[in-house]
Amino acid sequence: MEDEAVVRLNSVTKSYRLGSVSVRALTDVSVEVRRGDFVALAGPSGSGKTTLLNLIGCIDKPDSGRVAIGGVDVTDSPLHRLAGLRLNTLGFIFQTFNLVPVLTAYENVEYPLLMKNVPRRERDERVRRWLAKVDIEAQAKQRPDQLSGGQRQRVAIARAMAGDPKLVLADEPTANLDSETAARILDLLVEINRATGCTFVFSTHDTSLIARARRLLRIRDGRIVQHAPAGEVRQEEAFV
Amino acid sequence: MLTRIAFRNIFRNRRRSAITLLVIVAGAIGLILFGGYKAHTIRALRESTIRNRLGHIQIYKLGYSKSESQKPLEYAIDNIAEIRRAVEQDKRVTMTAAQITLMGLLSNGEKSETFIATAVEPEKDRLMGSQRLLSGTNLPLDEPDAVLLGRGLAASMHAKPGDYLTIMTTTVGGSLNAVDVRVAGTFTIGVKEFDDRALKIPIKGAQQLLQTSKVEKLLVFLKETDDTAAVHGDLQKLFAEKSWALEMKEWSELAGFYHQVVAFYNGIFGFLGVIVFAIVVFSVANTIMMSIFERTREIGTLMAIGTTRERVWRMFLLEGFVIGMLGGILGVVAGAAVATIINHSNMMLPPPPGYTVGYPLKILMQRNVFVTAALISIVTSTVSAILPALKASRMKIVDALGHI
Repeated sequence: MEDEAVVRLNSVTKSYRLGSVSVRALTDVSVEVRRGDFVALAGPSGSGKTTLLNLIGCIDKPDSGRVAIGGVDVTDSPLHRLAGLRLNTLGFIFQTFNLVPVLTAYENVEYPLLMKNVPRRERDERVRRWLAKVDIEAQAKQRPDQLSGGQRQRVAIARAMAGDPKLVLADEPTANLDSETAARILDLLVEINRATGCTFVFSTHDTSLIARARRLLRIRDGRIVQHAPAGEVRQEEAFV
Repeated sequence: MLTRIAFRNIFRNRRRSAITLLVIVAGAIGLILFGGYKAHTIRALRESTIRNRLGHIQIYKLGYSKSESQKPLEYAIDNIAEIRRAVEQDKRVTMTAAQITLMGLLSNGEKSETFIATAVEPEKDRLMGSQRLLSGTNLPLDEPDAVLLGRGLAASMHAKPGDYLTIMTTTVGGSLNAVDVRVAGTFTIGVKEFDDRALKIPIKGAQQLLQTSKVEKLLVFLKETDDTAAVHGDLQKLFAEKSWALEMKEWSELAGFYHQVVAFYNGIFGFLGVIVFAIVVFSVANTIMMSIFERTREIGTLMAIGTTRERVWRMFLLEGFVIGMLGGILGVVAGAAVATIINHSNMMLPPPPGYTVGYPLKILMQRNVFVTAALISIVTSTVSAILPALKASRMKIVDALGHI
């Protein structure tokens, strides 16, 4: 089952309207991500990385083509079903952390579990376990504005992982962090991937992150231009 | 968790929430003050209408209310003593008072004026306290030919206490009769039009003038106004048992002015409610719209991690509800404080239209007024949040996440 496709995009096209102009973000993109993979999406700004992540994350819909998550075609699924899919199957890590400012670190991690109606005892156990894993236990009662960037991203990772997702999508997870903190976050993501077998797809400019990826999808002008094991791509090529 | 988020978000932008709360509190205070003032005025008017003029129940000869006869006392009660004894046995009854209404001419030898007289039992009339004496004394208990004149009538006749006047009217037999009367005093009930024609005479004097021993009606006074309907029902049974051909009316059927005032105040209260509703709606909606604008990315995040649109809608609706609840509670507390201060300040209001005397400003602290004010605050604030909450819940996640 190791090679089972968690994500399958088939000839996906997506355009946006920018004022009166239609901008093609993705053109005929077909991608397959296997279970347990650690995939980097690399490419210059505006190349379509975030759009591709949005489509995989079911927070946007393609103009044409099909999107399947966990073997289920979700292209035409209604919004409430997509919300359920995101809650139960996916985890999100954002460049700007996107924690709920009025909730403590503990509550931010607890939030998706509450939405999933996880019983109280199990919820508490899972929140504490993940806060410990990301080494943020001591800051459990602090709100995001009392945490550093690295700490916030750790809370965001714990929030994404506490729901036990099959697939975690991370949009530039280290872009807002200094290099030392970014390296630690990267170590954490690699460790989680290895320990849980959870699939990771992340967009990045970070060469060190690309170097640690198991596979690289190079994207340019809305097209996948290279799809290869990351070791086979020279880091400087990733942005060409 | 949604409640926690809603509650904490209210304290996120304290200044803005404080202004919104202030608007709701001001609205609630306005409703409590006017509601309490209205309740006090209406209750005072009701009790004065009943205790000074109408009684709780009036008993007449059967056919009286449908009679269009021009002859005085054609439908009159003759066995008044027997009826009174039976009625006063009821423990809820405090007293009964017989009355006759008559019209005629009043003359001082130089000029004549028409009058509308109420013939009363002097001792009962004192207990009713239906008028404010301006000069002289109340009607003496044993002087059937003494009268009290309304302020305007006395002025028109240039009469003062101790003067003698002549009153003339038609007897029950249809002939004219006149007697000389002594002016015992002058009075006012506060309504100029009434004071210009009003005259009070002891019922014995009126019966002599009308040449009858009957009375027009018997007023029944109760300890508690709320017992009116029950006593009415019991009296009906009593009259049926005794085979007395009598009919009754409750005070509310006779108090046309009271009902006009109630309708007038209810209209104003409703209008005030609409204004408060509009102000609160705009204020709360504006606060929540601004909050949504500031939290667009947060909304996008919540939806991205699996929060349904319905939950997002509920979360903002809950914020409206919490603001309304806080505003309502603070408004009730502040309203009670302001009402207490006003009630202890002995402020006087000017005479209302048609009245000649002012009255004290009092705010009745009724539970239903406070509950209404709090409910209006909560409901209005929650309703205000519906549209902004819908807007939040309909955001496209991608756009919301990209919002800066």
